[in-house]
Amino acid sequence: MDQASLLKEKIRQGFILEKVEDMNDEYLEFLKQTLIIVGDTELLSAPPLLSVYDQAPTLNNKITALAVIQDEIGHAHIAYRLLKDLGVDTDELLYNRKPHEWKNPYAFDFELSNWIEFGVFNALFDRAGYTLLGDVFQHTSYGPWKRALVKVDKEELFHLRNGESIMRWAMAKPDLRDDVQCAVDWMFLMALEFFGVADNLKSRNQQLEYKLKGKTNDELRQVWLSTAVPFCEEVGVKIPAHYDESTGKYVLEVPFPCKFDVENKRWLFDQPDTWENVVKRFKKRGPQNKQFVERIQRGALELEALRREAS
Amino acid sequence: MKKQIEPHLKKYWDALKEVLDPEFPISVVDLGLIYDIQENRGTIDVTMTYTAVSCACTEWMEADIEKRLLLEPEVKKVNIHVVWDPPWTVEMMTREGIEKMKYWGVSVR
Repeated sequence: MDQASLLKEKIRQGFILEKVEDMNDEYLEFLKQTLIIVGDTELLSAPPLLSVYDQAPTLNNKITALAVIQDEIGHAHIAYRLLKDLGVDTDELLYNRKPHEWKNPYAFDFELSNWIEFGVFNALFDRAGYTLLGDVFQHTSYGPWKRALVKVDKEELFHLRNGESIMRWAMAKPDLRDDVQCAVDWMFLMALEFFGVADNLKSRNQQLEYKLKGKTNDELRQVWLSTAVPFCEEVGVKIPAHYDESTGKYVLEVPFPCKFDVENKRWLFDQPDTWENVVKRFKKRGPQNKQFVERIQRGALELEALRREAS
Repeated sequence: MKKQIEPHLKKYWDALKEVLDPEFPISVVDLGLIYDIQENRGTIDVTMTYTAVSCACTEWMEADIEKRLLLEPEVKKVNIHVVWDPPWTVEMMTREGIEKMKYWGVSVR
């Protein structure tokens, strides 16, 4: 049995890795890649949320919004701190990476349009984050990450409640119902894209074999749908998905993946797409990617410039 | 913090053990947020605090507390009085709350 197979077998039997010496190069590489995606996702959720937090209708709503953003930055810090312990130069990662090199979801490269979108962001995107990280918490073979996720998962539940509470509030107001529908119309499929390419396009899944996650992309999409669909139905928002009793699964009523009109934030359901093209779209990044990353980096770069000037 | 609870009020303290902090699933009682409960002919007066003046969940928690107490058949009205003196510290938490935090790896010192 080669070294990789040996480690996978040990992990399959319940081995928890605690330090770099426990890993092989492949495991370390997958772990770093995954933590970069998680850290970038948490951190880059702040700029879109900040774009509308000041539209909060009450002071209490605004305090909650700021608490959510603060949590996300804290979660990012946890992921980057784990990366630092694995030998990654996190200053380089944070302040010298080009905007298109960041690994946050495509959905976070958009400014939000209004306060309602803050709520739908929490209710749908944070639900995706909770689904993904909840799976990691349950299954990960990397001990330090599992312990760190206890706090993260609990806080994400608070974000979900905030999102659901804003959506319920808005759906009870006739003049705001259309805004909720508009937000859900573009964010619902965006959230489903968080889980990545369809299972049938993956020949093997190293992340599963090393137990960096426990469920496949399509299984995670089903987990997300199993709570997102009933919630949207309960509050009366129309969504392009339903539960199919004959298969025991949630099914989509529109082509997925499909093309997206970036300018109008609208899905083009008459133009089905391939995952290959979706990945190209992800890599090209969305409209505010540069602006958002520069916002994150600005303070550190300005301070660095001041230091250079003073010395 | 040790509290002497009058026997006829114990059921309300127990009821609030079911109301959880929205961010960390520990009850408002175990977190030490509830300072006092009084009952007078179906009206409950709850005196409570928060861990911080900028607590992001005040409205949700007050709504949850009111909703839970109103489930008791004799309760007709709930008044919530928020106070900041004495200020909340981890000393206010119950042993159960502290143990839960420790189990989750969260410092309570």
